[in-house]
Amino acid sequence: MVLTRFGIALISLLAVSVIIFWCVEMLPGDAAERILGRNATPEALALLREKLHLDLSAGQRYLRWLTAFLSGDMGTSLVAERPVADYISSRIANTALLSGLALLLYIPVSITLGVLTAIHRGKPVDHAISVVVLVLMCLPEFVIGILLISVFAIKLAWLPPLALIDQARSFGELLELIALPTITIVAAMSAYAVRMMRESLIEVLESSYVLMARLKGLPKRRVLLFHALPNALGPAINITALNVAWMIGGVVVVESVFEFPGIGRLMVDSISHKDVPVILAISMVMTGAYIATNLVADILVILLNPKLR
Amino acid sequence: MAVSDSAAPSQKAGTVRRGAGLSASGWVGAAIILTYVFVALTGAWWAPFGASQILTGEPFAGASLQHPFGTDNLGRDVFSRVVLGTRPVLAMTFSATVLAVLAGGLIGVIFGYLRNWVDEVGMRVVDILISIPTLVLALLIISAVGNSLWLVVVTVAFLFTPRVARVARAATLGVVTNDYIAAALARGESTLSICLREILPNISGVMLVEFAIRSAFAIIFIGSLGFLGFGAPPPTPEWGLMINEARANAVNSLWPVLAPAGAMAVLVIGINLFADSLSRLIDRQGSAAVAK
Repeated sequence: MVLTRFGIALISLLAVSVIIFWCVEMLPGDAAERILGRNATPEALALLREKLHLDLSAGQRYLRWLTAFLSGDMGTSLVAERPVADYISSRIANTALLSGLALLLYIPVSITLGVLTAIHRGKPVDHAISVVVLVLMCLPEFVIGILLISVFAIKLAWLPPLALIDQARSFGELLELIALPTITIVAAMSAYAVRMMRESLIEVLESSYVLMARLKGLPKRRVLLFHALPNALGPAINITALNVAWMIGGVVVVESVFEFPGIGRLMVDSISHKDVPVILAISMVMTGAYIATNLVADILVILLNPKLR
Repeated sequence: MAVSDSAAPSQKAGTVRRGAGLSASGWVGAAIILTYVFVALTGAWWAPFGASQILTGEPFAGASLQHPFGTDNLGRDVFSRVVLGTRPVLAMTFSATVLAVLAGGLIGVIFGYLRNWVDEVGMRVVDILISIPTLVLALLIISAVGNSLWLVVVTVAFLFTPRVARVARAATLGVVTNDYIAAALARGESTLSICLREILPNISGVMLVEFAIRSAFAIIFIGSLGFLGFGAPPPTPEWGLMINEARANAVNSLWPVLAPAGAMAVLVIGINLFADSLSRLIDRQGSAAVAK
């Protein structure tokens, strides 16, 4: 079961690579024209076309690109004129830092708020948090980011508006720079999770075994932490997977809001510069991460559910 | 005759009562949506200034009676731009969602009804399309085909279609085993006719909710594309694009950023409230029908 799922993921990734390559093929102009730009003479174009193997058919070029990609050679960036792998690895590290930090905060935040709303359901605390959650769910992430910038960077001037973390000189400075984009992602992800957590916890709290535990005279905290919470966490895995999958796209937008030097912002820049090798590499990395997330979630669900094992 | 006369009003009362089943928040959502539609239809007549009319006042003016939301860096009236932006935003959202729900709905229903190798292969393709992050694929497609208003609409529709198809297929699987399908088959109805006349009306509730949820997604998605510079081309007063243009000058004036952001947020909240309430209503009707 796990193996089949793994095989399907690999096939999807291969199919996706074809789609992405095909999309990039349709970009206006060919690679030689894009590299030479206005200085293009017919001779130089012909020479470069041959060098870039543009004389081959699209299918042959796809195979060349795929074999090179699989052996770790992602080509050379047309804009930075550096090997792509080299160029994007530091950006990937930045994005990983941002999303890792966000994920680390997201889990306790959504569990705490979910529990808080579930045990105080129908009370003012629940209503207040639920309204905030609903509003956050409806706000696009760039709007959340801009609202945060407006309040914390412009009105209050507590934090820098842009997250140019490459310029950080100390760890404290790094945290200051990365704070707003992290909060943006956490806010966007938690909104959905809190709502789901609340619903699944309420369902569990009203079940008979929780009633039984309560009737046994166990302390409230023990019932909540050891009886109710573990059973309410099951759906949380799926939601977290959905959220991580969302984050892979959302990070493009959030990084653009804060000019964060990550892979998402690089993707947008590379598309506007038509830097094909970088576009291909980033699309593959992002899609790979996306498929891997879904794969891990599916496998976890299979492993956690004895019936499916 | 008398019987049918008395039956008609009671039926009408029934629909009214069903409509009233929409919760208070659902009505709030519906009112918000209708207000936006009204603004989109009539805004051009009463917006105080044109969308690209520059220097209607001092640049970066604050809120005043003449400029309720101030002016932007070119002295354009932000209120007018937000009002006039309602039309392109709603038009793009509506057309993208309609296209996606029509195409995805048809595909999903046919696959769900056939359940043969076509379905098998088709759903694999759908799975693969879904396994590419939407925004990444959207940026790739739009940079390849260009970003006119309508290409953005088609791209968004294309990206939403496989997701709608999945929902439609799942809903179809729920009704396809009913006897009326077998009866239609025995009558010799064609596949297309069974899909459109027998299955579609019975999953229309699910599709309606899907339509509402998708349109909320579409607004956010089209806004995000505009914000990244891949949506409607300037100087369209599309809200995402307006936010993108204004944020470089956010230090000078927050109005040009906050006004379109607020307009977008309120609309999405309205649609979500409506969709939520609608889906609960349809669930309740579904269980009531089963109880009967």
